[in-house]
Amino acid sequence: MKKFAKSRFNFLSLALLALSASANAQQYDLLDLSAQPLNNEVCATCHGGAGVGNASVGGPSLAGLEPWYLRKQLENFRAGIRGTQKEYIPGNEMQASVARLSDEEISELVDHISNWEAVAPKPRIEGDASKGQALYAACAACHGASGDGNEALGAPGLAGRNDWYMFRQLKLFQSGFRGKHPEDTAGQLMRPAAQALENDEAINDVLAYINTL
Amino acid sequence: MKKIVSRRELLGLIAKTGASGAVLGAGNALGIVPNTYVDIPQIPQANPSDRPSVVILGAGISGLTAAYEMKKAGYHVVVLEAAGRAGGRSLTVRHGDLIDEVGNPQICEFDDEPHMYFNCGPARIPSSHRNVLHYCKELGVELEVFINENKETYIQDDAMLDGKPIKNREFTTNARGFMAEIMAKNFTNAELDEPFDEWETEALMRVIRNMGDLSEDMIYKGSTRGGYSHGGFLEHGHALETIALRDLLKTGLFSMALGQNEGETGPILFQPVGGMDQIVKGFLRQLPEEVFYNVMVTSVMLQDGGVEVVYEHKGMKYKIEADYCFNSIPSHLMTGIENNFPDDYREAMHYIRRGEAYKSAFQAKERFWEKDDIFGGISWTNQPIEQIWYPPHGMYKEKGVILSAYNYGGGMHFTQLTQEERIETALRQGEKVHPNYRNLVEKGITIAWHRMNHMLGCSARWQKSRSGFTQEEERLFQTLRKPAGNHYTIGDQITKHTAWQESAILSAHWAINDMLSRKAGGSMPGQRV
Repeated sequence: MKKFAKSRFNFLSLALLALSASANAQQYDLLDLSAQPLNNEVCATCHGGAGVGNASVGGPSLAGLEPWYLRKQLENFRAGIRGTQKEYIPGNEMQASVARLSDEEISELVDHISNWEAVAPKPRIEGDASKGQALYAACAACHGASGDGNEALGAPGLAGRNDWYMFRQLKLFQSGFRGKHPEDTAGQLMRPAAQALENDEAINDVLAYINTL
Repeated sequence: MKKIVSRRELLGLIAKTGASGAVLGAGNALGIVPNTYVDIPQIPQANPSDRPSVVILGAGISGLTAAYEMKKAGYHVVVLEAAGRAGGRSLTVRHGDLIDEVGNPQICEFDDEPHMYFNCGPARIPSSHRNVLHYCKELGVELEVFINENKETYIQDDAMLDGKPIKNREFTTNARGFMAEIMAKNFTNAELDEPFDEWETEALMRVIRNMGDLSEDMIYKGSTRGGYSHGGFLEHGHALETIALRDLLKTGLFSMALGQNEGETGPILFQPVGGMDQIVKGFLRQLPEEVFYNVMVTSVMLQDGGVEVVYEHKGMKYKIEADYCFNSIPSHLMTGIENNFPDDYREAMHYIRRGEAYKSAFQAKERFWEKDDIFGGISWTNQPIEQIWYPPHGMYKEKGVILSAYNYGGGMHFTQLTQEERIETALRQGEKVHPNYRNLVEKGITIAWHRMNHMLGCSARWQKSRSGFTQEEERLFQTLRKPAGNHYTIGDQITKHTAWQESAILSAHWAINDMLSRKAGGSMPGQRV
């Protein structure tokens, strides 16, 4: 182990030194909220550094999401098609976060997030992947045999997504908190599919299989 | 149908309640309300040619404390802060300030005056919080007395007296009067193991009589202590009408009305003159070059004898390596940041739930409460706003900032409302305490800590049960408090008394002391168990 005596401060970039001047001057014009830059710092608070997801606050990984799906969900949240049920707090938070976005801002966000490097999430759920493989046959019809999704059917890729998040979404689909809205056509298709999974064990099994994809 | 309880049965019930009260009292003596002492870590001065380096994540009270103390000892210190300001939850807003709620950013429109501020997070410093007071003194932060309890404020409950607000003094006087009467009756009939002698009996009866302002026959017949209906100076004072105990019992606000002057909220409390963030500014005066803002940490990696932190700033990535990392990032956000912490450490971080506290405030066009003899203090209501706070500063100025809601435990009710709904709810509920409230206040601001950017939560919630830490929770707590490599988790989140600035300071002291004791012992191979 390294001796403590040696100093190890090592900045990769000296640009850091230039930051301190602007740092204290965080001034906002009264009521001019448009002066705030739209940036990924807001996303990263919930969705984790580099968009890897954070189960503690219910923010799923964004890195690696298909741009079309990202856009659709941002629009759904903005329109209140998703996230308006008070019972599901993370959805609520997401809804409020994007409610004021313009079309251009959504496009910027989609472009920006699409550039994030996909990171394979750590599995959090334990299940029987071999049992899950049999159950997945029904999912494969829309989401693809290798879980890479199908835009024409509105079915996102599942491989590389957070299993804990998919668990929650399956439960939300089952209970009707997601997929019940008349304008959520893809969600309406997903609802009966989620209900076909009989219990939490079945959900865990199918997610364990998806984790292998 | 209501069950009628006889006086004797009532006394039996009270005796039972008294027993649990005594247990609670003993609990306080045993440290539920902790007393702290000032014991600033004594850090040996670093050799200028070989300064230890420390990267501190988060410029809240714990991070600033750590930075300040270690800088004093000659360490090379850098503080990385995600927000555009320092302070964390120690946030004071004034004219033009941003309230950075995700999805609901607000700009404070209060008049631009020194006394027109709102403490969105901590707002009072108990006199037992000696470390906060120590730093106020050392950093030149001027203090004034904070008024927490004021008997001229109101108690309002929809279930009591048809929802009519009554002054706390009326409530307290009547409640104490009836309770004293019951005690007197109970005492004379009691069979005590060791009966008092005649002198002691008389002394005790005098105390009880005095406590409740009872008549000579030890009956409560009303008291002028609750206030006069008329007279009092040039004419004889006439007591307000007595309120029946039966009516008082309809509210659950008894402990709020009677108990605020005890424990941590009891006198004396302090506040910094000009806002709680004067403490933050005091620290920053000593750290003019060390704090960097708008920095999003994306990875914290333990290394052999050090820590590597990667962060983003304005679209660029940076890496910084240091001997030590003191990390106050809320545990529920840290779980979303890449790291190589041990599994049990991560498990502990994931366990802690985030607090839901909510506060809101208005600018009052006039200090209407002062016309009602209210100068500081808190009115209590059973409605979701729960509390109305009157500023203990700026007396007799034209305007003031009034706290219009404070929900510490379950703030989601307000958090889930839109800004307009939050303001309207505060107006509608405040009107029940102060008629015409709606027309007297303006420019409302709301702080839903659950949605504040870079925080997403108020103080950490460790316990799932009110009865204390479970063994499992204790294990997780101890795991997270220990260093992981040269990384320390700090902040009030890693104390047994979350939410207080005192706790944040003590967490930093604890980590520094642990670091020093490891240094003194030399760096041993393997992991501490």
